[in-house]
Amino acid sequence: MKKALILLGCPESPSQTPMAVYVTYKLKKMGYEVTTASTPSAMKLLEVGDPEGFYIENKIDIDSCIEKLDKGTFDLLIGFIHKDAAVSYFVTFYSILDTTAIAIVFEKDADKLIEFENTVSENTNAEIVSARAFHNPTPLRVKFDKMIKKLEESNVI
Amino acid sequence: MFCLETYLQESEDYDILIARTGFKECTKVIEENAPEVIHVNPGEKVLGARIIGIPPIPIGINEEKGTILFPYTKPCHGTAVVEIPVGQEEIDKTRELDIK
Repeated sequence: MKKALILLGCPESPSQTPMAVYVTYKLKKMGYEVTTASTPSAMKLLEVGDPEGFYIENKIDIDSCIEKLDKGTFDLLIGFIHKDAAVSYFVTFYSILDTTAIAIVFEKDADKLIEFENTVSENTNAEIVSARAFHNPTPLRVKFDKMIKKLEESNVI
Repeated sequence: MFCLETYLQESEDYDILIARTGFKECTKVIEENAPEVIHVNPGEKVLGARIIGIPPIPIGINEEKGTILFPYTKPCHGTAVVEIPVGQEEIDKTRELDIK
């Protein structure tokens, strides 16, 4: 079974948690075994929102995850990026895994959004899904769905 | 073997040159404050911990003071530059990681 890793940092933006659940749902339907690496606070939100682990089955602390990570551990990396630190984490996980990756970039500030997109594209070959989003995850969901369709049609994932 | 995370939890003998900021700002602080700077790739183990950042990641060495300066990133707290005292063995090991 193909393995996907979802990277979740600080859950400051309300869009992150529901989008993480949605991404997990989509990937599982596509046949992926999904693991979520997150901060303790992001994990708490997932646990409260999905108390029986219906969607989020495999969870690991983000710093514990990186210690055990190696190239080939996962077939697909999906990172949620809405802070500078999250860019650093995504680029680092990408560098270790060296695998197909999607960066979901979201920020209220247009300049910061562009800065995060540029840093990701300069340092990885990740596909980028980006939107000015904070409270409303819909723009991200729409763009993520389009990206997944494009990658499926090109047999990338 | 030196373990950075354990050291930071158990010791107060380190300096924070800058905190809660962006990674680029931290690279400038390291380059301005360290007499010697090497560069490593993201995910490289420096002082026993995987270094998080945008490549090439600067690591500062002050052999005279016996310290190493490095960027330290946590998801909710941004990036800081931490300077910690280490032995010569750790300085030599760190130097070997330089990607030049």
